[in-house]
Amino acid sequence: MVQEVLRLQNLQKSFGSVRALKSASFTLNEGEVVALLGDNGAGKSTLIKAISGVFPVDRGDIYVRGQKVSIRSTRDAMDLGIETIHQDTSLAADLSIARNLFLGREPVNLKWLGVFAPLALAKLRNAASALLKRVGISKKLDADALVSTLSGGERQSIAISRAMQFAAKVIILDEPTNNLGVEETHGVLRFVKEVRDAGHSVLLITHNIHHVFQVADRIIVMRRGEIVAEQTVADTDLLTVESIITGADMSALLRETRTK
Amino acid sequence: MTIAAEEEMPGAKRRSSLIRSPQFSSLIILIVLLAVFAIADANFLSPLNISNMMAFLPELGIIALGMTLLLTAGEFDLSVGAVFGLAPVVVMLLVQNGEVSIGVALLAGLILCVAIGAINGLIVTKIGISSFLVTLSMLLVVRGAALYITQGFPLKSWDQPGFFVTLLAGSFNIGSFRFYTSLWWFVGLSLLAIYILRYAKLGNWISAIGSNRNAAVARGVPADAVKIWLFILTSVLAGLAGMISAFRISAASPVAGTGYELEVIAMVVVGGTALTGGRGTILGTIVGALMLRAIRNGIVLIGVPGLAYNIFVGVIILAMLILHALLQKNAARS
Ligand SMILES: Nc1ncnc2c1ncn2[C@@H]1O[C@H](COP(=O)(O)OP(=O)(O)OP(=O)(O)O)[C@@H](O)[C@H]1O
Ligand SMILES: [Mg+2]
Repeated sequence: MVQEVLRLQNLQKSFGSVRALKSASFTLNEGEVVALLGDNGAGKSTLIKAISGVFPVDRGDIYVRGQKVSIRSTRDAMDLGIETIHQDTSLAADLSIARNLFLGREPVNLKWLGVFAPLALAKLRNAASALLKRVGISKKLDADALVSTLSGGERQSIAISRAMQFAAKVIILDEPTNNLGVEETHGVLRFVKEVRDAGHSVLLITHNIHHVFQVADRIIVMRRGEIVAEQTVADTDLLTVESIITGADMSALLRETRTK
Repeated sequence: MTIAAEEEMPGAKRRSSLIRSPQFSSLIILIVLLAVFAIADANFLSPLNISNMMAFLPELGIIALGMTLLLTAGEFDLSVGAVFGLAPVVVMLLVQNGEVSIGVALLAGLILCVAIGAINGLIVTKIGISSFLVTLSMLLVVRGAALYITQGFPLKSWDQPGFFVTLLAGSFNIGSFRFYTSLWWFVGLSLLAIYILRYAKLGNWISAIGSNRNAAVARGVPADAVKIWLFILTSVLAGLAGMISAFRISAASPVAGTGYELEVIAMVVVGGTALTGGRGTILGTIVGALMLRAIRNGIVLIGVPGLAYNIFVGVIILAMLILHALLQKNAARS
């Protein structure tokens, strides 16, 4: 029996007169990788920002494990087990890897001191090293290194490990392989599979359809603020998906050329 | 080379990063400067001169502590010099003309500083105007208010001794050195600021906000609230410094603190804090504050004509900034 983790119902969002999200509904199940596709400006980032609490939606409901929730801040989303790695880099480059991994959820001593509580530095460092080891990038990276000294791929790995570490139910990745080299891209895709195998659900936004066919179970296509198609990967092929994204019926075109 | 990383590094690595850190290079230059001044004029290290420098140091140094935290979070405050002038003027006016006690007047001054900082912070974060423009306007408003309510005249000297005067501007002798209690304020506040920026959860947030605000917000860090509180803190520290100064010289002038905003920002960036946010160092700021005080004092002693001395100050600040930039480049390459 598939367990539903996240369900969106009729989400809507406008920026002034721009209707970035006209109506979006879909369901994400446990241990599933869903790819969210669509051309530039289709509304993908807007959709996931709404889910992760960057801004409120104008209309619509969000359910987590069947419970209706209201997500008013990024903190709300994190507390519900939704971790997002945004398109625009999500790390603070002037901080160490360890401090980034625990940003916003720092382990502290003397908790009653609130924001003035001292960081548990040893704990922070050990947890960070353990985490880096777990995701298999320990040999290269030192938890105390500044993020500004890392490559784009390494930064992406750090962001993904951070999402994994808090045992998020849902991990959202907005174009995680952008600007990455071949090896780093494979690393990220490997992470996605690992994350799924560990029982998390993944919502993956990408422009690379080849990647989708490597890791996704299901595909959702958006166009101009609406979800226009939903298919399981097993039931479709690259050309069909491409044609849905652009709106041109390329497979029909192909059929025509074949019959000739 | 940030605060955020250095104390977490073990052994040799930690040492090499310390040597390349901006606060360390500032310290070396400070020592060189002190040595040059001491050799050029024996009076530089005389008890009287050192006592003099130590009397002035906390007044700008205290503001610089707040400014360091604010700059690390990616904002700055140009209204501090004006607040330095207005706070004591308001307090003394209340005491002289009203029927209020000095304690109540000080409380009113504190509330005024909190309000100025809160207005700065709210406009910067909620309306999204750059802190340069907001605090520049605030400088004019605050300085204008100080001039208007005093009609431009310094207030009559006020020198009734009492608890608050002793607390803020008392003095004591150690051997032939004469120190003011304000030095204790500076030391205590410095330790507190070091603790917050390096070791507390709040410091992690401050650095993260200045480094990448969106990333911090995405992790649930209340960036706007942190910034607003830092604006309030900076304003309150500027008012405190103004009170200390006014009590020490037993007078409040509406033009006191003119130009202090730039002097304070110079202290902070000379110490190695990045003007662009994300990288801040309190130790560096203390070194920077000492350095600017020593320069101002030393070049007068060694006989640079008074009118020429800003040239020297400017050149030394520029040299420091170039050094930091070169070190930064070097660090990025290695
Ligand atoms: N903060 C905003 N203010 C105004 N308009 C916005 C804002 N954010 C997005 N938009 C608009 O909403 C539409 C959808 O943008 P969105 O970022 O969701 O696209 P996307 O599918 O993520 O595209 P890409 O693949 O290029 O990242 C675009 O027309 C964009 O210009
Ligand atoms: Mg996008």
